[in-house]
Amino acid sequence: MPIAIERRDPLTQAQGVEAGYAQTARRWPAQPLVRRPHSVSELSGPRVRDRLPELRGDLAGYGAKRALGQLIRVRVRVVDEDGAPLPGTVVEAWHCNAAGKYIHPNDTHDAPVDPNFYGAARMVAGDSGLVELRTIKPGAYPVPDTNGWWRPPHVHFSVWGRVWLSRLVTQMFFPGEPLNEADAILMAIRDPEARNRCVARLVPSRTNELSYDYQLVVRGRKASAPMP
Amino acid sequence: MTRLVPTAEMTLGPFFPREFAEGANDLARGAAGEVIEVTGRVAELDGRPLDNVVLEIWQADAGGRLDNPAFPGWGRAATNAQGEYRFRTIRPGAIAGRAPHINFLILYSGLMRQLQTVMFFGTSGDPVLQAVDASRRHRLIGAPVGPNAYRFDIRLRGGEETPFFDD
Repeated sequence: MPIAIERRDPLTQAQGVEAGYAQTARRWPAQPLVRRPHSVSELSGPRVRDRLPELRGDLAGYGAKRALGQLIRVRVRVVDEDGAPLPGTVVEAWHCNAAGKYIHPNDTHDAPVDPNFYGAARMVAGDSGLVELRTIKPGAYPVPDTNGWWRPPHVHFSVWGRVWLSRLVTQMFFPGEPLNEADAILMAIRDPEARNRCVARLVPSRTNELSYDYQLVVRGRKASAPMP
Repeated sequence: MTRLVPTAEMTLGPFFPREFAEGANDLARGAAGEVIEVTGRVAELDGRPLDNVVLEIWQADAGGRLDNPAFPGWGRAATNAQGEYRFRTIRPGAIAGRAPHINFLILYSGLMRQLQTVMFFGTSGDPVLQAVDASRRHRLIGAPVGPNAYRFDIRLRGGEETPFFDD
């Protein structure tokens, strides 16, 4: 099925350099990005599932091995721009523990490690493009060398769409968090509706887990039939 | 008809799990073709090397096929503290209308979105290479540094900045 990719909309996608995020001015290219024609090389994509094993979809654990924090369950649906689900797509998720500490050795934040929490999940979407992540709600943490910037609680997601150009790496936020409105990464999205779509929706739950729904829309839609 | 807006991309952040970054940089295992090594250094403004930059590649097999079940075509590597990455792969064949090339995607803290660039093996005609200003094309050519070994350094900003693409 041929896929078409349209240019990014500057209102719904962040631009390169953000005043509130100093590293962007050291890393985003100074030269304008180059427009290029697309061929099958960009408009086909890898079967990443063959390369990346499914790892774990439960970061919270049970009983004596339970991670500290508020239990949550996030139901993520992966679709393309036509709204068509992407069964079989790989979804990676990672986040810090309830105290705001990542499992990564480069995280120097003075917050405790939770021996029962390992913050990296990799799942494969089912028939409806759905994955479910059972975990604990991540904490907030200060960003080093900034003037009081705290990251709000968030979950990182990495997902593959149908083609090379539909790769999506993003972050999911939680509703009602006051830090959301001061976050240089979330606020870099100019369109308020696009920003709101990066915030998970709390849904009723009768279990001991707070439940959230979330949708990831990867780039790409069915290409219209070529003119005869 | 439904038309959804693609989710906003956001930075990978500095703490991409090591477990994810490792173990996927060898595409050559069991694949037919000429094994090559591609290494390089990723640096920011002022040439400072960057640690834990994630690079993903996508390429054709030796025969120019992108759908060969025996060759993944996809790999991922991360830079070390010296900013160095390494891939072991197969020299890609030419795809119809394109010169042999390897697509690169770069994800990192401070990059609000993914960056895309391409490594070519020579200056012969390719529509993507032609789209780049002639004065900058040499930055997209992998430099031979030994038998079947190529160097592809990536400068995100400043100096001899790598050309990146917008799609």
